Amino acid sequence: MKGRLAVSASLTAMAAAVTLAACGGGDGGEGSASKAPAKTSALSDKPMELTFLWFEWPPAAALEELGKEYTKTRPNVTVKVNTVPNPQWHDAIFTQFAARKTNFDLPILDSQNIGEAVDNGSILDLTDFVKENVDTSQYDPYFLAAYGQYPQNTTGVADPDAKTYGLPLLGDTWSMIWRKDLMGDTPPATWEDMIAAAKKCQDENEGMSGLAFHQAGTGDAAAVTYNVMNALYGGELWNQKDKKIEGVINDAAGKKAMDVLVNQMVPLTPKGSSNWFIDEVNAAISQGQVCVGFQWIAAMGGLTDPASSKLGTTKEEILEKLAFAPLPKQVTDKKPLGGMGLHVSKYIPEEKQAEALNFIKWFQTPEAQKKWAQLGGVPARNDVLNSPDFLEATPYNKVFTDSVSQLKDFWNLPEYAKLLNVHSTQVNAAISGTQPPEEALDKLAADEQKILDESGGL
Amino acid sequence: MANTLQTPPQSAPQAERLEAPPAAKRFAFLTDRKLSFLFISPAMALLLFLSIWPLLWLLGLSFTDYSATRDSGWGWIGLDNYIEVLTSPVVHARALTTLVFVVGAVALQTILGFTIAFLISRRVKGRGAITTLFLIPMMLSPIVVGLFWKFMLDVQFGVVNSFLDSLGLGRVEWLTQQRLALFSLVIVDTWQWTPFIMLIALAGLTAVPKYLYEAAEIDRASEWFKFRRITFPLVWPLLLIAIMFRAIEAFRLFDLVYILTGGGPGGTTETLSFNVYKVAFFGFDTGLASAYGILMVVVVTIAAQFYLRYLNRLQES
Repeated sequence: MKGRLAVSASLTAMAAAVTLAACGGGDGGEGSASKAPAKTSALSDKPMELTFLWFEWPPAAALEELGKEYTKTRPNVTVKVNTVPNPQWHDAIFTQFAARKTNFDLPILDSQNIGEAVDNGSILDLTDFVKENVDTSQYDPYFLAAYGQYPQNTTGVADPDAKTYGLPLLGDTWSMIWRKDLMGDTPPATWEDMIAAAKKCQDENEGMSGLAFHQAGTGDAAAVTYNVMNALYGGELWNQKDKKIEGVINDAAGKKAMDVLVNQMVPLTPKGSSNWFIDEVNAAISQGQVCVGFQWIAAMGGLTDPASSKLGTTKEEILEKLAFAPLPKQVTDKKPLGGMGLHVSKYIPEEKQAEALNFIKWFQTPEAQKKWAQLGGVPARNDVLNSPDFLEATPYNKVFTDSVSQLKDFWNLPEYAKLLNVHSTQVNAAISGTQPPEEALDKLAADEQKILDESGGL
Repeated sequence: MANTLQTPPQSAPQAERLEAPPAAKRFAFLTDRKLSFLFISPAMALLLFLSIWPLLWLLGLSFTDYSATRDSGWGWIGLDNYIEVLTSPVVHARALTTLVFVVGAVALQTILGFTIAFLISRRVKGRGAITTLFLIPMMLSPIVVGLFWKFMLDVQFGVVNSFLDSLGLGRVEWLTQQRLALFSLVIVDTWQWTPFIMLIALAGLTAVPKYLYEAAEIDRASEWFKFRRITFPLVWPLLLIAIMFRAIEAFRLFDLVYILTGGGPGGTTETLSFNVYKVAFFGFDTGLASAYGILMVVVVTIAAQFYLRYLNRLQES
């Protein structure tokens, strides 16, 4: 009797579940983001909190500080920047998108996440709004393409007919940081010169390592490192037209890049650094452990802080030892594009959407961009990037301005998160020695091709 | 002689008719059966809405291509998700990693936990204080445990490597070398959860009747004989229950992997739970992740059933 009851209960449960699933078929939604109006609508006078969601790092605090300037123009609005640890950044935003309800008004998305957000219909289409309200001629076309457009143009240049889903918030790229007190004032001319100089410095200074860079298998740490190498050696991540990854990323240039990374660069890094990301690289440079380091410019604020550095007791003393330059060229002079764009959540009330759009319009003014630069942000307007206000604000801001014309991003497909998981895991496997470099690259290419094929590509 | 035997009454005495007090009368419709339903209904409602309904929903989703973030509805794809999970080489590799972890961690915890409990049980003074001290790791959040072990095991700045270095043993890549990383997870999990086994074993040890030892003493039995023939057989069934709880917990290990290794180096410490998380939240393949989750529940349930049968047989014998 008891057994029969259990069987009937299980069958009922199965039937209920199957019915449930069967009932759910068909189209469930619109499949595209709502459009922001071309003209800014009337703004509310009610007290309002405009909320951003970003990850925990110095620019997030700078953005909240900048929000106080916005409050001066809109006294009923306060700006709050909520942060999560970097590894949870994507999940924190997209799980709320999944719930069709967000506790943030402006999600700050990595440039590669735009495709996923657009495909899911989670952010507003800003095309008409931008045309009407923002002077886009002031931006490098690549910024507009990378931080706002989807699908991104194959050339990386903004397509005037493409749809815009965001505007640049923070521009960023890698800077080379080297110990000029040990290696001289002149930066190495090529990537291979840099490796040789780092090795020489390591050999001459006992206890020091030659290099520090991002190697972790989490986030985009190891992935960006390989992409830098791939681009420098003339490789490509994929062929967008033919939807091909296999045979492209692991061609001769790609293999050379992986070989240099694993066999020439990794041996110069500190022991156990294959799980390093932003904080660990900063710590190694500040503690005087390495000769050359590579870091995102927006994350370099702490390097010149005497409170966390063993290189000097004042900023000036530290700057007598550290120097900054754009990445050396090799076969090409490409640099990685970092940074993020400003977007508006589809799942917030209209009055909040209007306020968010007003913030975006205000943020793109030269005054707001200059203030953003003063607070430690990296602006994207050409006039501000080339202004003394920005260039003299930090010893490394010029690195970004000099790198703008050579920036290169990776795919911003809806499948980015899955592709990145494979990319990071396999590059980290090669770096940590759990797989031979060529084998890891071939597996990376095959797994990514499978993801692209299953999704149908673009 | 007085007749003390009374003739039994011909008919049963009339029972005094009980009048229900006014308050109870008002609720006369509440029979015992209805009342019992009423009392258990809050718990049943919680169970239904927080466990059974989500499980059924999960089961339903596992037969679809649903994605939580896409605004495109879902379609019925039958057993495709189950076939994909069961035939995936990545899942096979993660299952092997999980198996190695479960066997390694639970075996180590059982040996250490039982040994500590046995030693504590033989001590009379300060037993309570020592037991409490041993329980501290178990009371900490796994995230906190993961974070401080991450700092302690760091190659460059960690206290463990500084100590090894000072002894001239060199620095060890605890978290970034393929086999050592999984071993480190076993060590950290053992540090945190050995007290659980210890606690259960201690309860078993203190429940062993003293007279058995006294009888053995009279027969001049050795310490080893007493342990082998009295202590261990009586504690073993309880220990088996603790092992089952720990094995189930270890099977779904996620937090320590997330904090300590992030699944690295090269994905070699990724467990099944960590892999489900990636499937569920990297690209939001909700249908596939649901099938993956259901299969994990099925595996644990079947294993637990076999285990419990063995346990019942052991107790019966």
